[in-house]
Amino acid sequence: MSQHAPKEIHSLSFGLMDPEEYREMSATKVITADTYDDDGFPIDMGLMDPRLGVIDPGLECKTCGKHSGSCNGHFGHIELAAPVIHVGFNKLIRRLLRGTCRNCSRLTPVDGSKYADLSEASEAADEKLREFRGNLDEARSLRQDLSDELKSAMRTCRRSSSDTNEDKCPYCGEVQYDIKHEKPTTYYEVQRVLASDYPERIAQAMEPDEEDGERVTPPELADETGIDPGRVQEILSGSFRPRESDREAIEDALDVDLTEEDMNKLMPSDIRDWFEDIPDDDLESIGVSADKSRPEWMILTVLPVPPVTARPSITLDNGQRSEDDLTHKLVDIIRINQRFMENREAGAPQLIIEDLWELLQYHVTTFMDNEISGTPPARHRSGRPLKTLSQRLKGKEGRFRGSLSGKRVNFSARTVISPDPTLSLNEVGVPDRVASEMTQTMNVNERNLDEARRYVANGPETHPGANYVRRPDGRRLKVTEKNCEELAEKVEAGWEVSRHLIDGDIIIFNRQPSLHRMSIMAHEVVVMPYKTFRLNTTVCPPYNADFDGDEMNMHALQNEEARAEARVLMRVQEQMLSPRFGENILGAIQDHVTATYLLTNTNPEFNETQSLDLLRTTRIDELPDPDRVDDDGTEYWTGRKLFSELLPDGLDLEFTSSAGDTVLIEDGQLLQGTIDEDAVGAFGGEVVDTIAKQFSKTRARIFINEVSSLAIRTIMHFGFSISIDDESIPPEAQEQVDEAIDGAYDRVQELIETYERGELESLPGRTVDETLEMKIMQALGKARDSAGDIAEDHFADDNPAVVMAESGARGSMLNLTQMAGCVGQQAVRGERINRGYEDRTLSHFEPNDLSAEAHGFVEHSYREGLDPKEFFFHAMGGREGLVDTAVRTSKSGYLQRRLINALSELETQYDGTVRDTSDTVVQFEFGEDGTSPVEVSSSQEKAAVDVEEITNRVLDEEFADENEKAEFLGERAEPTNLSEHADDWWMAQSDD
Amino acid sequence: MVDVSQHELVPDHTLLGDGDLEEVLEEYNIEKTDLPKIKRTDPALPDDATIGDVVRIERDSRTTDTAVVYRLVVE
Repeated sequence: MSQHAPKEIHSLSFGLMDPEEYREMSATKVITADTYDDDGFPIDMGLMDPRLGVIDPGLECKTCGKHSGSCNGHFGHIELAAPVIHVGFNKLIRRLLRGTCRNCSRLTPVDGSKYADLSEASEAADEKLREFRGNLDEARSLRQDLSDELKSAMRTCRRSSSDTNEDKCPYCGEVQYDIKHEKPTTYYEVQRVLASDYPERIAQAMEPDEEDGERVTPPELADETGIDPGRVQEILSGSFRPRESDREAIEDALDVDLTEEDMNKLMPSDIRDWFEDIPDDDLESIGVSADKSRPEWMILTVLPVPPVTARPSITLDNGQRSEDDLTHKLVDIIRINQRFMENREAGAPQLIIEDLWELLQYHVTTFMDNEISGTPPARHRSGRPLKTLSQRLKGKEGRFRGSLSGKRVNFSARTVISPDPTLSLNEVGVPDRVASEMTQTMNVNERNLDEARRYVANGPETHPGANYVRRPDGRRLKVTEKNCEELAEKVEAGWEVSRHLIDGDIIIFNRQPSLHRMSIMAHEVVVMPYKTFRLNTTVCPPYNADFDGDEMNMHALQNEEARAEARVLMRVQEQMLSPRFGENILGAIQDHVTATYLLTNTNPEFNETQSLDLLRTTRIDELPDPDRVDDDGTEYWTGRKLFSELLPDGLDLEFTSSAGDTVLIEDGQLLQGTIDEDAVGAFGGEVVDTIAKQFSKTRARIFINEVSSLAIRTIMHFGFSISIDDESIPPEAQEQVDEAIDGAYDRVQELIETYERGELESLPGRTVDETLEMKIMQALGKARDSAGDIAEDHFADDNPAVVMAESGARGSMLNLTQMAGCVGQQAVRGERINRGYEDRTLSHFEPNDLSAEAHGFVEHSYREGLDPKEFFFHAMGGREGLVDTAVRTSKSGYLQRRLINALSELETQYDGTVRDTSDTVVQFEFGEDGTSPVEVSSSQEKAAVDVEEITNRVLDEEFADENEKAEFLGERAEPTNLSEHADDWWMAQSDD
Repeated sequence: MVDVSQHELVPDHTLLGDGDLEEVLEEYNIEKTDLPKIKRTDPALPDDATIGDVVRIERDSRTTDTAVVYRLVVE
């Protein structure tokens, strides 16, 4: 790491590197492929040259003199024997080859052959180039992507005709050929040349054909083309190759094509020469800055060698050294480079040179990117593909996503979570061994000196202890069991003590996947024994956590600013209202809901002992006036009364509960109705939501905590369990169910018969087959519903499954129907099951059997049990559901990632606008209305901001006296100074 | 052909005069190019809108009655 980090980055410039620059920054030229000599010392000018930096501790860097750890390493370089193409620039190289002249290297924005003469053509070309510059300027001013402009400019420059040699350079008139790119790094020029079988082709064309029955004789041909007759004979015999002009004349005369494609390979050196001649001005007009990025620099002549610190070798247990993949690749490059030079100096044949050149190109290519399609990846001896430069950067575990955007952090812990209903929802139970590992820094002063000394004296192992102290001179001392007593006495004001986490510290708690902001919230620490994090069950919904083995992460905050921010903004109670739907996401769940239902639905009575026991864990320690006093003087309180004790005074509310009755709350007293999921549940429980919005989040937190406490004691009072017998129905009900299903079978049979007679009338927009399927589905659906209704009628109101479904705690009436009545039709892709064998689902059925049981109707209930065929169909339907969820999660995860990346830089500014990092306005007012989703009503029927209601509330608070309020509102006219003559009228206006 | 700008779901697009534009840019302290963009070919634009013009779009809003947005006409 550099010791002098620049304070402010003024600008960054991206461009290509000049080979000269590579040489300048190089610490040494690398010429030997070997790394270490026999004694284990790095070889000079080898790949591990000590001038490239040091990795072994104790050695000194020969370039900067620093030791390993402080020396960043230095680049070296390899002088390539011949230029090679840089794979990363293939696209641009191809574009430039296609868009510039092969002779003068100028851009060819127009086709020179379309103009009368060269001056006219070059004029037109210049005009085009000016247009490109104009487009660039405009894109720049609109801050658009300039590479789009380059792309469109190069499209214009590309040769228009690829199969004829017609396209000409507007500046020099040279004929241009098409460029063919063979992946990854080979380029060809496609020229049209005289075909080798030209005499045959001419002879063929001279033969008579259907249109003109005449045979063309050689003298005629000579006549027509103006070629010497003797020469024509020579051409026909193949002993003379016609010149270009003669060839064209013959082609015209005989209407024949005498050419064939010739692929002329462009060597990297050819391309480099070509690019060197592209004028700077032309480059500027396609948006390439010539002094930063000359195109010939895309063809490498010098290869930079990364410092050894970027490719450290590791020493194995047996003392052998194992080199990094990059070093292996560099060894290959140097070896081939060496052989190339030797062969060339020895004057080896062109073929061998070209082979070596290609090999060098391959090695340099795979050094940059080892995952190019069409090239076999370079492999390690063991057969594993090498991880080269591009592979280090790419992907989830690559440098960017794996090491820079996300990395492992200190002061974090992860363990299994388990429930603890005695904690507040703001708290989290932290195991003592975690608490003594995560520390908080205490700045010691006169007032906390004793406290700090106590921590240090406890040492690192006893819980409220300390792990480190820092003296004012900056020395950091580890607190150990041995030195803690001694060290504690030395601690003075001005020291820093890293003390253990204690009760009340604030930490950040998180469960992956972090899909919304409530996935990361701040909690207060409660240090506890054992190994799990403990949470109040009411915070399960925001984290989407359960206790079947879920693990969660904890982060200890390390400065006051972070702690303050976490406490004010991130604490669980502050995140109570979800910005997703603008209502509470915290609230009673599962058994809490069941319990409040049991407490309020039938409004049971409790005697004093019972009542006090129910409220034991709340802050209520005095009972209200009893609801009923027995003749013998025993006092009774109703469930609603006890529940009302938790409600804040002044709460007025009226809504319909999920149990179906009207809940009426007046001045904090529950007068009527059942408290269930819709009242206190997570995800929009009315009472919780209203308290959070009208009172405060602190009040709402107290309420939720107390409701859950009361609920737990309530459900322990009543007892709540469920067994298989709770889903059984009496025999007479079973008979009714069977009857209903038999009836449906008959109806289905009837439908099938009508269909087979061809009498079934199709519904509009459907075929007869579809209509039949629909009607059968309908009939069977109805059968299941009526089975459910029959079963429901036979369940008592205190049936636990019914209680749970009614209160919204868990399960639905449909689940109950399937358990007790009939499971019903199984479906795959929304239709009855039709797959399997030819014309039938299973071999147990006749082909083309349309009946219910042959297409997946399960007439039994889960309690009765399914027969084998039904079981199989049920498994088919069940599997589809599983696959659907698996697909949905992966799809939505990727969508989420894309959305987050797209929106992450948007920020609401202090002026209310939403802007991106370049200050471009995205919204003129946050959400186009400047309102927070948690502060406005989320219901569709009501207005988002109910001004009426707000003014009423404010007025009620402002004016205690009804008269004053009416006066303020101008509802009541005050007597003005009327003449005494109007007294009669005035008296008449008043009541008396 | 249907003129979509007359449809009730298409908000009013009006061209902004130079003076008004100045005021808007002043208010948000931005350049013209920092505004959101709209294509010249957008059928909701008034016929006489040319590239470089700024249109004022007034939308109905459930919360604030009307929400105003400015857009720069491009291409």
